[in-house]
Amino acid sequence: MPENDRRAARRGGMTRRGALGLFLLPFAGSLSAAPRPRRIVCLDAGLTETLLMLGVRPVAIADREVWEKWVVEPPLPPEIADVGTLLEPNLEFLQQLRPDIILAIPYLDGIKPLLERVAPVTTIGIYTQEGRPYQLAVEATRQLARLVGKEEEGEALIAATEAGFSEIRQQLAPLSARPLYIVNFMDPRNVRVYGRQSLFQDVFDRIGIRNAWTGDTNYWGFATLGLDGLATASDARLAYMEPLPEGAGGTLTESPVWNAMPFVRNRSIMRLPAVLMFGALPSAARFAHELAKAMTGDAAHG
Amino acid sequence: MADDTVGRRASGTWPRRLSAGQPLGAILLCLMLSAAATTATLSNLAVQLPAALWLDALGTPDVADMPQVLVHYAFLPRLAISLLCGAALGLAGTVLQQVLRNPLASPETVGVSAGAHLALALATLVAPSLLAFGREWVALAGAFVAIAAVIALSWHKRLSPLSVVLAGLVVSLYAGAIGAALIVLRHEWLASLFIWGAGSLGQQDWTTTLWLLPRLAAAAVAIGLMVRPLTLLGLEDEGARSLGLPLGVYRAAGLGAAVALIAFVVAAVGVIGFVGLAAATLARIGGARRLGQRLLMAPLVGGVLLWAADQAVQLATGPQGDLLPTGAITALLGAPLLLWLLPRLALASEAPALTAEHLPRSRRPGLVLAALGVSLVVLVGLALLLGPGPHGWSFAVADQLQPLLSWRWPRVTAALSAGAMLALAGLMMQRLTGNPMASPEVLGISAGAALGMVLALFLVSDPGRPVQTAAATAGAFAALLVTLTLGRRAAYAPERLLLAGVALTALFDALILVLTATGDPRAMLLLNWLTGSTYGVDAGSALLTSAIALCLFLLAPAFIRWLDMLPLGAPAVQSLGIDLRKTRLAVLLMVAALTAASTLIVGPLTFIGLMAPHLARRLGLARALPQALGAVLAGALIMVAADWIGRTAIFPRQIPAGLVATLIGGPVLMWLLRRR
Repeated sequence: MPENDRRAARRGGMTRRGALGLFLLPFAGSLSAAPRPRRIVCLDAGLTETLLMLGVRPVAIADREVWEKWVVEPPLPPEIADVGTLLEPNLEFLQQLRPDIILAIPYLDGIKPLLERVAPVTTIGIYTQEGRPYQLAVEATRQLARLVGKEEEGEALIAATEAGFSEIRQQLAPLSARPLYIVNFMDPRNVRVYGRQSLFQDVFDRIGIRNAWTGDTNYWGFATLGLDGLATASDARLAYMEPLPEGAGGTLTESPVWNAMPFVRNRSIMRLPAVLMFGALPSAARFAHELAKAMTGDAAHG
Repeated sequence: MADDTVGRRASGTWPRRLSAGQPLGAILLCLMLSAAATTATLSNLAVQLPAALWLDALGTPDVADMPQVLVHYAFLPRLAISLLCGAALGLAGTVLQQVLRNPLASPETVGVSAGAHLALALATLVAPSLLAFGREWVALAGAFVAIAAVIALSWHKRLSPLSVVLAGLVVSLYAGAIGAALIVLRHEWLASLFIWGAGSLGQQDWTTTLWLLPRLAAAAVAIGLMVRPLTLLGLEDEGARSLGLPLGVYRAAGLGAAVALIAFVVAAVGVIGFVGLAAATLARIGGARRLGQRLLMAPLVGGVLLWAADQAVQLATGPQGDLLPTGAITALLGAPLLLWLLPRLALASEAPALTAEHLPRSRRPGLVLAALGVSLVVLVGLALLLGPGPHGWSFAVADQLQPLLSWRWPRVTAALSAGAMLALAGLMMQRLTGNPMASPEVLGISAGAALGMVLALFLVSDPGRPVQTAAATAGAFAALLVTLTLGRRAAYAPERLLLAGVALTALFDALILVLTATGDPRAMLLLNWLTGSTYGVDAGSALLTSAIALCLFLLAPAFIRWLDMLPLGAPAVQSLGIDLRKTRLAVLLMVAALTAASTLIVGPLTFIGLMAPHLARRLGLARALPQALGAVLAGALIMVAADWIGRTAIFPRQIPAGLVATLIGGPVLMWLLRRR
């Protein structure tokens, strides 16, 4: 690891001019020959997964350990460094990495002035007040692709994601009559249910599934509520995502309220592997894929 | 020993205004609360289920009818849990007060709730397999470690009320700081800990109720069998011993039963703020004077109190509203109630509780101060130059110096100024009130400052630092005024000030818990700031903070004469021809300004204001001027060290400086308390 870092730092030394060029980019008008940033620090997991799908490795990300539990795919190359937490990435460390650019999200606007002292910051919002994260994720993909000079790969990623949706839409058409709840367990009694303004809602719309949760959501697209809040739609199915909090799996099966839920009595529950709920196109595709797998597998069983 | 007389008087003077025979007030209170709670319960029930089906739902619910299932398996057990937990906490509070002979003892104030909670949080995160043995064992272990620590810390003062509550506060704050560190470091994955830790009473079946019932019953029966010996424990030690009672045994047994009650409740539903203290206190001022009456009335009051609070929460949030945690709400309601009660509570009269007389006096304060000063300079040098990077630890030299310093100096400067200011504020409070426990943190002034700041964050769209400073100062001064207005009647008697401060702090904690439990993304930002992160401090705010600090320190010499005299007591000061009211007001304004400016940087949770003056005193600095200088240097020293450790210990991650100050300050303070 230190060896890698040292090499990385040496590489960094040579791209100072590149960084300068990028910094001047806004003033240079339509100068198309601007050198591309080679050393990217990406603070958001959704942007990182997009970069990886485009074939670009950031030098560092935030909250590395979160990846395996919540993002899972694509796998994270081991040489990518960890700059600390999302809200407080280590500035001294960042500076010593000599990045050409830092990719951030609107959530981090509070520390943007600090980050800008290290390198130019590009803020890309997928989760904003206006909702529709899928559309914004497509735009973010294009923006990232332009940034790293992989426009073709970007369009291919968008096209592949859309193609995946229409395929899954056909596959699930026979199963689309019943609405579906998609939740994360907070503890055995409380769930985060995803609805309007969430990435999952946008995926639902594209693969022809009706969301059973039509209530309010916050700006990240979810609402936190007690399990019994899900009892209203009588014909709904429920899909819950990993990771499960400690103990939730065991106590659930014994709870009479859980067992009286319409979807439990109809045996219409599915367990999905973890999918990043605040992700971009790769997470959307992964979600559709895992959901289709679970739903069709389910239909085959019963 | 001064403290001990306070304790005896405190436990001996219950209010005499009400009839000595029957606890009429407490009964009346129970009836009124029950009526309100019943109304709320029926209204909540009617929302969920037509009245015709109530009996069915109670007995044999139709499993195909969701509303019936919810009433039978969610609404009713929740009601039972609220009654049980409230009663258990009321009983535990009363037993604690009796055994410790301490009118301030309660699950929160002696650190037991916090200990049990922390043990469960730690087990959940670090060793989930431990929970398989049963949550109660983990909670019990934590609760007993906490009470053992509190007793060890106050043993040499023969468990006098003030020393116990001081130790309890230290242990609680310390456990809370560790818990906050866990949350900050592993934030969003801990969302469930937020909900549970805030005392959600939500249920999904009867298992928790059935689990709790025999355990609580066993503890209650054990307490019931000990009524007579426990009554005698309220007497003087000598008197009780002459009756041939093995005092130690009964004290330990009573304490054990109370701690077990609390641990069970925490294991079942988390921390329910303030019900234990409120129930025990309300029962007593409601006229329950004999122990037997109090042991009966306090659980009743506690049960009804929590029942009413929980139904009110459900009324507000809809059926089974889980996300406004009842435990946090009781603290929100309980704190103002306690504030209202304080002036009406006949506690111990004023007694100068400063134990400074027993402490060594340095013959050469200059030497001590010089040593502190040199340490501070060395430490600042280290904090600026030495640190880890991608390639391991290194001194910043040559071309690395400039960029690294540009990050480090604002944080070091801000931490230094904040630590120094908090220390001075603490010293002034301690000298003003003659109370060794007084400090901006303990008296709720920091909480007030933080509250002002929180309001600014949520109400003003984009508050800049001047707005934040103003809001924090206003909050600090408001909290100070509340605390001192309540304390005025008893001329700032230690217990009263302390209780008011504890109430304010609990109010603030509750608000934060509610905010974090709702999962608002702003809550995480807030939590980072609350735990005292210096991350966002830039050159501008560092300079501003140090400028404020400098101005305030330039004013300080004007106060030194007063600070030397104030501990002598009001009559002595007035006989010297000093206008006591004006003096106090001036000192208080100064404290509010110092606290607000520093809270903005390091959050409301540090111990600096409490610790630094004690540290200076222990180093032999007795008179106001050397003690003030020593405290200021010590405060700066601790805060700079905390910031440095926070930046380097788990590089590249960071621990907020305020949190580190609490984590290293706690043991220092405990050691100071322990040392004779």
